[in-house]
Amino acid sequence: MSANQQASHESLYKKEPKVYPRDVKGRFAFWRKVSVYLLLGLYYVLPWINVGGQQSVLFDLPARQFHLFGLTFWPQDFIYLALLLICAGLTLFFFTALAGRLWCGFACPQTVWTEVFLWMEKWVEGDRNKRMKLDKGPWNRNKIVRKSLKHFLWITFALWTGFTFVGFFTPIREFGQAIFAASIGPWETFWWLFYSFATYGNAGFLREQVCKYMCPYARFQSAMFDHDTLIISYDEKRGEPRGGRRKTADIQELGLGDCIDCTLCVQVCPTGIDIRDGLQYECIACAACVDVCDQVMDKMDYPKGLIRYTTENALEGKKSRVARPRVFIYGTLLTIILVSTIWNMTTRTPLRADLLRDRNQLYRELPDGRIENVYTLKIVNMDQQAHMYTISMPGNEALTWTVDPEPQLGAGQVGRFSFAIQAPADLGSGSIEVDVRFESEKDPDISVVSDIRFLLPADQGR
Amino acid sequence: MADKQNTVQNTVRGRWSRSKRDWGVSIWIAFLAASAGTFLMFAVIDPEVLGDAWVMNWHTGLRLTYGLGFGFLFAVALLATRLTSFMIRTGPGRGHARGKGKRGLPEVHDPAENNPDLSDEDWK
Repeated sequence: MSANQQASHESLYKKEPKVYPRDVKGRFAFWRKVSVYLLLGLYYVLPWINVGGQQSVLFDLPARQFHLFGLTFWPQDFIYLALLLICAGLTLFFFTALAGRLWCGFACPQTVWTEVFLWMEKWVEGDRNKRMKLDKGPWNRNKIVRKSLKHFLWITFALWTGFTFVGFFTPIREFGQAIFAASIGPWETFWWLFYSFATYGNAGFLREQVCKYMCPYARFQSAMFDHDTLIISYDEKRGEPRGGRRKTADIQELGLGDCIDCTLCVQVCPTGIDIRDGLQYECIACAACVDVCDQVMDKMDYPKGLIRYTTENALEGKKSRVARPRVFIYGTLLTIILVSTIWNMTTRTPLRADLLRDRNQLYRELPDGRIENVYTLKIVNMDQQAHMYTISMPGNEALTWTVDPEPQLGAGQVGRFSFAIQAPADLGSGSIEVDVRFESEKDPDISVVSDIRFLLPADQGR
Repeated sequence: MADKQNTVQNTVRGRWSRSKRDWGVSIWIAFLAASAGTFLMFAVIDPEVLGDAWVMNWHTGLRLTYGLGFGFLFAVALLATRLTSFMIRTGPGRGHARGKGKRGLPEVHDPAENNPDLSDEDWK
């Protein structure tokens, strides 16, 4: 075989080895478990809770209404969505500047669902060594049964996840009943299966590859880091030179550091890196290596913290500062925007009224000589109860108006009305500014004012 | 080595730097995508009937609506192409975090190897 032929048969692609994270116990593992239960609990339970007779969280796209804990948001309220997204971004910046990749290690959906899928894998296939052995072994009855059971659990959990996701966009009880009655629509079916498949694929197979290759946050995070940001780091000065030893050995005599090179920190890492190589962007700061190393240090009667949450400044023996300008700026901005958003959301007027001029005719002269402008009135009742609205034009007592039909709307309804304003013939010429006030008969606090321009003939009154 | 390569690359007359080429490709692909999207928008959307659909009380003319539509599609496509370019360029290279050159895959072994006191642990 020639060199060229040989080269053509050699693949340049090297398959990424599968990561088998070893199970770990410890304080950070405990908090990760708490985070998983809390976040997944919220995700799976929230759509089933009703507030004021309405699903607590429901993004009703066909009706163009978002229901959040008794509040209803309309497309016109998109400013709140933008503000909430800004708050989410600032929260991420704030916690990243303060404590590094807290989000990645404890709250990211990829981490949370992968954790649950790993639990299921461990229940069915056993610990790390058993899983590796099973994967390397032949396809016998034991392997087929265990693999089938694992995928059955994964698929069931993924289907439940997809079902819940769709339940945030369509009333979940009705959706559940529709599934049992085999009467769900094509779009609901598509999104249910799509999100189930995404969960199954991301948490079951892609896992750390998502963090390493697909997640943009990992690439951007360095911009939010400084030398006082908390990172998970191996204390190289204390740990090196690394090497095996007996517990009773004199490490000074052996010329060794505190790292016993057990490689457990590598074995527990869900992204398969060696934290002893330094800070790497593949590290999702789950702190599994901290937990396992602390256990080893305990076992060897060495002080804990060879791998720990620390800062670059602390590692270099310098003083670390928590209160830094960037933390202060992110924190202040976050507080201001969050407080003002919540205040605005809870005190907003649940009424919107738009007046659109009839484009066909600027004005018309009535048989009795009065001038009339015609508008289309669009009223949105954003409240949870029905309202009848009264109309007034403060400061323009000479004007009269007609509205057809009566402006009465049920909860969450949108209505269109024909609205006309009449002015006496001697009012003037050109145009005048008119404030039209809409007020609920039931609750005078629910009122809005629309500014319009009333057009008059140019020579009127001359 | 990398610096040397960059220097050689930059000395080739008339050749753009990698960053400029990335920007050029990103802008061009975003333009093509926005153009295709505008064809579709022109075929299926009548801006005249959008009057009531706007969330804001806007009354845009035909040209402005199509212009804004193209601008929006171009901005979204450019964001996607730039992000793709960034993600590819900054992908994992297995470079050593401590500046010690390439690093291989981490080696693992039995924790008790050379550490006999760990042998009775459940890590075994």
